Amino acid sequence: MHMETVIKGDNYTVEWDAESRAAHLKGILRLNGLDEYGPIARFLSAAVSEGNMVLDLRNLEFLNSSGIAMLSKFVIEIRNRKVVDLTVLGSKEVSWQGKSLVNLCKLMPTLRMEII
Amino acid sequence: MTAPLAATRLRSLTAKQAAVTVAVVLALSLVGSFAELFIAWRNTRDEVRAQATQMMETVDGSAVEAAYQLNGDLARQVVVGLVGYEVVDEARIVDNFGDTLGLTERTRDRSAWAGLADRLFGDVTVYSRTLERRRGDGASTDVGRLDIQLSPQAVARNFLDMAMVNAGLGLLRSLAIVALVVGIFYTMITRPLVRMSRLVSRVDPDHPGAALIPTLAGHAHDELGVLVASLNALLGSSQQGLDQRDRAQGELTALTQDLERRVAERTRELEAASEEIHSLNRMLKAENLRMGAELDVSRRIQQMLLPTETELAQIHGLDVATFMEPASEVGGDYYDILQAGDGRLRIGIGDVTGHGLESGVVMLMTQSAVRTLVTSDEGDAVRLLDVLNRTIYKNVERMGSDKNLTLALLDYRPDAPEGEHGIAGHVRVSGQHESIIVVRQGGKVELIDTMDLGLPIGLVDDVKDFVAEITILLHPGDAVVLYTDGITEAADSAHNLYGLERLCQVVAEHWQDNAEAIKEAVVADVRRHIGGQALYDDLTLIVLKQG
Repeated sequence: MHMETVIKGDNYTVEWDAESRAAHLKGILRLNGLDEYGPIARFLSAAVSEGNMVLDLRNLEFLNSSGIAMLSKFVIEIRNRKVVDLTVLGSKEVSWQGKSLVNLCKLMPTLRMEII
Repeated sequence: MTAPLAATRLRSLTAKQAAVTVAVVLALSLVGSFAELFIAWRNTRDEVRAQATQMMETVDGSAVEAAYQLNGDLARQVVVGLVGYEVVDEARIVDNFGDTLGLTERTRDRSAWAGLADRLFGDVTVYSRTLERRRGDGASTDVGRLDIQLSPQAVARNFLDMAMVNAGLGLLRSLAIVALVVGIFYTMITRPLVRMSRLVSRVDPDHPGAALIPTLAGHAHDELGVLVASLNALLGSSQQGLDQRDRAQGELTALTQDLERRVAERTRELEAASEEIHSLNRMLKAENLRMGAELDVSRRIQQMLLPTETELAQIHGLDVATFMEPASEVGGDYYDILQAGDGRLRIGIGDVTGHGLESGVVMLMTQSAVRTLVTSDEGDAVRLLDVLNRTIYKNVERMGSDKNLTLALLDYRPDAPEGEHGIAGHVRVSGQHESIIVVRQGGKVELIDTMDLGLPIGLVDDVKDFVAEITILLHPGDAVVLYTDGITEAADSAHNLYGLERLCQVVAEHWQDNAEAIKEAVVADVRRHIGGQALYDDLTLIVLKQG
């Protein structure tokens, strides 16, 4: 059960919508290293214990390399749990997402990727 | 302190009163006395005249007889009789021939008052009466004259005695009046006023309400009573005012103290905060220095292991040009060109995530690992990248880092694979990095996507499933361009990115040139694009021109 529903930062928000079981990442994420991404990583990990989950990245304008690493590890963790169905929503408009989202798919073959 | 003042006041007020009253009353009584004296004088004169006339009336018969009979004795009797009056100085009977029939004189010493007496009464002291004898038939004959002269002194003495008595009485009366008036005035007004004055002067200006003025006996309902009541009201309200002031002062003092306390507290807080700020500042400066030093070290690590000019000069068969410009915050670009004998080249290009010392260290590790594997002549791309990935992954995990890197490995041989013709060389490519640009004769550009040739190194523990290899065949004159995203993402002042398209364009334009020229053209164009902006990411470019 998710205790927090929102993480707010200087230029970004991470929201959890319990009804649609979706995590919405919005804004610009440029945190410094895996440590600073800790809260968001834990937030995403704790979101669901099983069942389906949506990771909405359509409004995430920028994600730095540490952030991509954090998402990659998250996807691997979900893959290893084997009980969560992950769907990732991305946007063609957002430049960083092209290559990195492809890699995320590779990490978890059962991952559903929807690029709009 | 106030008593002597009151005493002085006391004397002067009552004294003033007394003096004024005395002066006025005396003046008035003086005027009155003079008036009385004047009237008395006039009366005395009338009396004298009346007395004289009366005297002469009385002796008229005898005097007439004496004059008619020319009787000297009778005349003498008469005049002596007249002189018997104290007031008469001289009496004379004169016959109608003018001869004195009888004369008596009194000698009198002239006293000191004689002059004054003369002046006062001199003009009423001489009388002359015509002696007329009446005949039986009513006719009268002038037979002589009676002259009397009164003594002004005698008259005056009576007058003066009386006058002095009157004056004395008058003075006494005045004094009595003065005393009474002063006394009454003093009792009724001056004393209560003075008493009030003393009481008021005893009022302590700091505690006006402490000693209210008691009602003056007998004056509860008159103007003095009103004055006392008003003064008391004034003292009361003054006391109230002072009390309010004291209360306000007390509150103000309390507030001031509270304020001072809070200011002191705040000052302490601010000082503490300031201390903290200073200490943070010191820490930041230290951190800055450290990071600066780290970047220096990182840059050196990067530069240390790049292929040298000498090495590159030894490459034959393939025309190679390289360019690397580190960014101000060293970005962790890696490239290497290793000669594996017989014209075979193992080329690597990659980009470690992030900046700083950690990135530099990962790059260093990668270079060593790649060289190790190349030296061990590992030809299987999957095995090579798998071992490399596991090595880097485990080390990075041990470092507690999140760094990973793109890495493309090219294995060049200056020959053609089985069955290919017209091929001067071929490159086997594996690993995930940026696209590889191949420019063919005539300037035709091919982009080789490396997304499916691998995964970033150090991201996950096992990449075997993701590694693939493709082969690029090179005809003479073909070129291969390798780059890092520092070039395609180089930004100008308006944040416009250089872009892959532009890079391809420049390369295509110079397809005929040698590797060095192609490299120079790209570098110049990128520099032109950036303008004066600082570099945010390392620029790395490798051009391979097949001869």
